[in-house]
Amino acid sequence: MAGRVRGRWTWLAVVAVALLAFPPQWYPQSLRLQLTRWFGAAEYRPLPASAEAAAAEVEPFCPEDVAGRRAAAEIEGVIIQPSLGCVVDDPYLIAAVVRGTNRVSAETLARSGLTSDAVEKGADLDGDGDPDEIHIRLEVAELNGGSPVSDQPVTRYPIAPGVTPGLWVFAPKLVGMAVENFESNEARDALRLPSPAIRVEQGDVVRITLENTHYMPHTLHLHGADHGFVDSSGEGNDGVPLTSELPVMPGQARTYELTPRQAGTMFYHCHVQPHVHVQMGLQGLFVIEENRPDNHLQTLNLGAGEVRVRSASSRERFDAEYDLHYLDLDRELGERIQAHNDPRLITRAMHREYDVTDASVDYFTLNGRSFPYTFRESLVHSRPNSRAKLRVVNGGSKGLALHTHGHKFTVTHEDGVEIPEAVRARRDVVWLATAQRADLALEFVDDGLNAYGPGIWLYHDHQNRGVTTDGIGPGGNISAIVDSGHLDDAGWPRTRGVSWEPYFTEAYYRKEVPVWESYAPGVFGDPGPDWALLTRLAVLGLSLGALGALVVNGAWRR
Amino acid sequence: MRRPLRWLLPGLLLAAPSGAMDASHHHHGTATGGVVMNENADRLPRGCRAVSADVAVTVRAGRRYAADVPGAMFGMSLHEVAVPRCSRVTVTFVNEDEVRHQWMVHGLPKYLYPAGMFHIEAMGGGQETGTFIAPAEHRTYLIHCDLAQHMEKGMRGQLVVGEGSGDLWGVIGISDAFYRAAYLPGPVGAWILAGLAAATGFVAAARLRRDR
Repeated sequence: MAGRVRGRWTWLAVVAVALLAFPPQWYPQSLRLQLTRWFGAAEYRPLPASAEAAAAEVEPFCPEDVAGRRAAAEIEGVIIQPSLGCVVDDPYLIAAVVRGTNRVSAETLARSGLTSDAVEKGADLDGDGDPDEIHIRLEVAELNGGSPVSDQPVTRYPIAPGVTPGLWVFAPKLVGMAVENFESNEARDALRLPSPAIRVEQGDVVRITLENTHYMPHTLHLHGADHGFVDSSGEGNDGVPLTSELPVMPGQARTYELTPRQAGTMFYHCHVQPHVHVQMGLQGLFVIEENRPDNHLQTLNLGAGEVRVRSASSRERFDAEYDLHYLDLDRELGERIQAHNDPRLITRAMHREYDVTDASVDYFTLNGRSFPYTFRESLVHSRPNSRAKLRVVNGGSKGLALHTHGHKFTVTHEDGVEIPEAVRARRDVVWLATAQRADLALEFVDDGLNAYGPGIWLYHDHQNRGVTTDGIGPGGNISAIVDSGHLDDAGWPRTRGVSWEPYFTEAYYRKEVPVWESYAPGVFGDPGPDWALLTRLAVLGLSLGALGALVVNGAWRR
Repeated sequence: MRRPLRWLLPGLLLAAPSGAMDASHHHHGTATGGVVMNENADRLPRGCRAVSADVAVTVRAGRRYAADVPGAMFGMSLHEVAVPRCSRVTVTFVNEDEVRHQWMVHGLPKYLYPAGMFHIEAMGGGQETGTFIAPAEHRTYLIHCDLAQHMEKGMRGQLVVGEGSGDLWGVIGISDAFYRAAYLPGPVGAWILAGLAAATGFVAAARLRRDR
């Protein structure tokens, strides 16, 4: 009898505690109003203060140019223009691909990192002073891949701080390791996104050997560049497994041939399961320059960007030239090469389980990087009253609404074909569909039409997603047109707005930093937790648990 | 063809970290075909009074050597090379593919091998021969091809000097992958199997209890 009474009191006590612990802010509105009538408003309880923003490691904006790559150089008789950019290509590599890796000294070749057959140049067939037999060898490299002994992406290549999507690229044929050194997991300089921009001359006898160093089948398809369906030996030459040839299997090599009759900005890409392989990064610009005497071309432009050694026709009409390669990436696709190591599982995950019709894109790269790294490598430098040529390709799966601040450009060519002058117009947005190319002419004439004067003028995809990195802005393919007056000695723009420190942290792109924290600390910060509410919920949970135990216990006894 | 010699010492390979991850820097050699870097046929490592033996090894590389290994794409004819301490090792690296391959050892003494590395690179269809002298310690070193993903997809081996210092992870034919995928008959099948196993266990336990 006494036990039963004590049990009843226990029940009542537990129920009372549960009711009292229930947070009043979650009572039904009618009950709250009734309580207000009886007891008045509850007393002031300050909202939780902003949490202290965690200190994040800030990367240097512009790494020091230790090797002096930005300076003008003359190597192997190749005159390399100075660059105002912060991070630029190795001049020895440039010299080797201009002269030909079979024609430079052993020292230059060693410094270039290329094999002696990476870019072979042969006879001057038309007797105009430059070689017309060109043999390029490309390998296939995987960046940010998986490993059976590491949970970190291997051959690491960040497109932005801490952002390492799985990638496949065509790469120049290099001597030695894929990483910087044995202790490092970072991809060496020359292994990067995008695949190198290739430059040949109209009428050159070009051979490109695809040495498939990757663990999947690949091909090379020359999109828009004049080539035969079969090569000189009657083998398929279009790179399309469906119609012209079997793919190049891992460990195998295959040579493609072309003698392009038309000049223009073209494209190359893998055509094996292209809905996946092209999107993974197996694509590059393929530029055919007009035939000119003594036209010594920079056969490879690594990572695209500024062309340090320009063609004769470019020098005739322009003062600078830039290759701009846009590519969007699907994080969920790239993760598939990191999640597995077994090629069978990777193949299944990429080609059967991945459904491109349900896919969305997350990263937006310009020349293989997203903001803020784009500012290291892909600034367009303006000089008053000069002209710059931009060769643009949209290699991404979505369209590109390329917009320039402070300038109106002229589209001179589309898909490598010249647009008649009469129908050209100045504009500040150009739409590029997937795989489309446009040649843009920028005239830095301060007339309110061509340009508004010196400054740091952004250029970017004007679609909202394009200026983000997985939805975090600023990110994506934002870069800028900058005059030298707005650059410091290292080539970094003297911006006048917000601090860029947050953008050079991995935490920012992990979505951990409040977006305006740098100039309005705390105002829009993350609120700390409401400890009183948490305490109430803990007590509520305990009492509900106790109630449950009483119910079960009671039922058991009966 | 020279028959590859292979010392496989019967002693237990003790489980200890190899410590082969020493800091090193990469130097490019010239590339007229292949590359042999940091060759050393006569300078003795510390602790060696003389060259203890001459060892000749032929390692063949290519897809062919991964053909019988599920889940590998590139392979080597030998994934373990075991040599006596202080032996002079001459490696002939034969590349049977049409693309580059490498045979690299890391973590060797830096006073003899810049960046601690001995490295052979053979172009597609080529072969290169290089010589180095093994250190005086019992230790296991990583051998790999450092083209992107070649180590991960099969070209990972170990050089066991003396008794070695324990197997490395993920060497084909020697040790398991540290991160091993789950090869199960799909998520639904796996759950059905697990459910059946649990039900069988439950019934068995219940019967046992009833019988008692």
